[in-house]
Amino acid sequence: MAFDAAGEASDEALMVLYANGDRHAALALTRRITPRVLAYAARLLSGDRAEAEDVAQETMLRLWKIAPEWRQGETKVTTWAYRVATNLCIDRQRSRHRKPQMTLEDAPEPTDGAPGAEDRLQDSGRMAALQAALSELPDRQRQAVVLRHLEGMTNPEIAAIMEIGTEAVESLTARGKRALAANLSGRKAALGYEDDGHAG
Amino acid sequence: MQDDDLDRLLAAAARTAPQPSEDLMQRVLDDALALQPKAAALRPVGLAPRVGLLARFAAALGGAPALAGLGAAAVFGMALGYLSPTTLDYLTGTAADAAEFFPDAEFLSTEG
Repeated sequence: MAFDAAGEASDEALMVLYANGDRHAALALTRRITPRVLAYAARLLSGDRAEAEDVAQETMLRLWKIAPEWRQGETKVTTWAYRVATNLCIDRQRSRHRKPQMTLEDAPEPTDGAPGAEDRLQDSGRMAALQAALSELPDRQRQAVVLRHLEGMTNPEIAAIMEIGTEAVESLTARGKRALAANLSGRKAALGYEDDGHAG
Repeated sequence: MQDDDLDRLLAAAARTAPQPSEDLMQRVLDDALALQPKAAALRPVGLAPRVGLLARFAAALGGAPALAGLGAAAVFGMALGYLSPTTLDYLTGTAADAAEFFPDAEFLSTEG
């Protein structure tokens, strides 16, 4: 099978091809799913990159193991992967009893004095503040907000991942967003909005 | 913080998703290939063996038992044809009398 064909196939078809020994399918699934799981895990785990990589690798490992028994039409591969990653993140959060949350000091700082360095510093500060505010949300609200607003998933997709109804998803995202706004209100200076002339 | 500010911040964060390192991608791919089931060996399935002309002819006659009977009858017929009447009398223990099938047809061979 040509790699181009693997690039056009659905995730579910790639699972079947992978289980049949197609190496291109293994590569295509790796490239499609791993970045999404990593980004999601990093956001749930307060930006802890090393732990997020472990979660991403473990999620993919479970995907490879379940491939021979994969039943098409029951669950989307991405839904399954997000669900597994969510559970792995929850396990890690419980086991470490929450690491110290990310603060502004954790944000990477530009080291050069070139034009734009100040903007990048402010962007990094905003992302760090957002990550810190996300970390303060209850787990379910954080999952819903991340899936909806950072991963760009629809409410039915989130409902399938979190195994709840769409109304519950709407409620979680609405409450999560309100709490996020409240958390960030105390960080207006870090966000730089006062300097930009935005009202807080 | 206003909703617009939060929406802008979330949109900016969505555009700057953490990217996997080459090392992570390689580890995941190594796992995939190590756990991948081997492809089954290809072999023709459901192909009936080709039937030759002789086999089809024999089947039309009724198969091997019919062919054996036919062969035996053919050999016996050949033997009857080749053996002289004297040998045949000896083998069968009988005397072969000349039979005239057309006793009145002698005139056909008479000259004059």
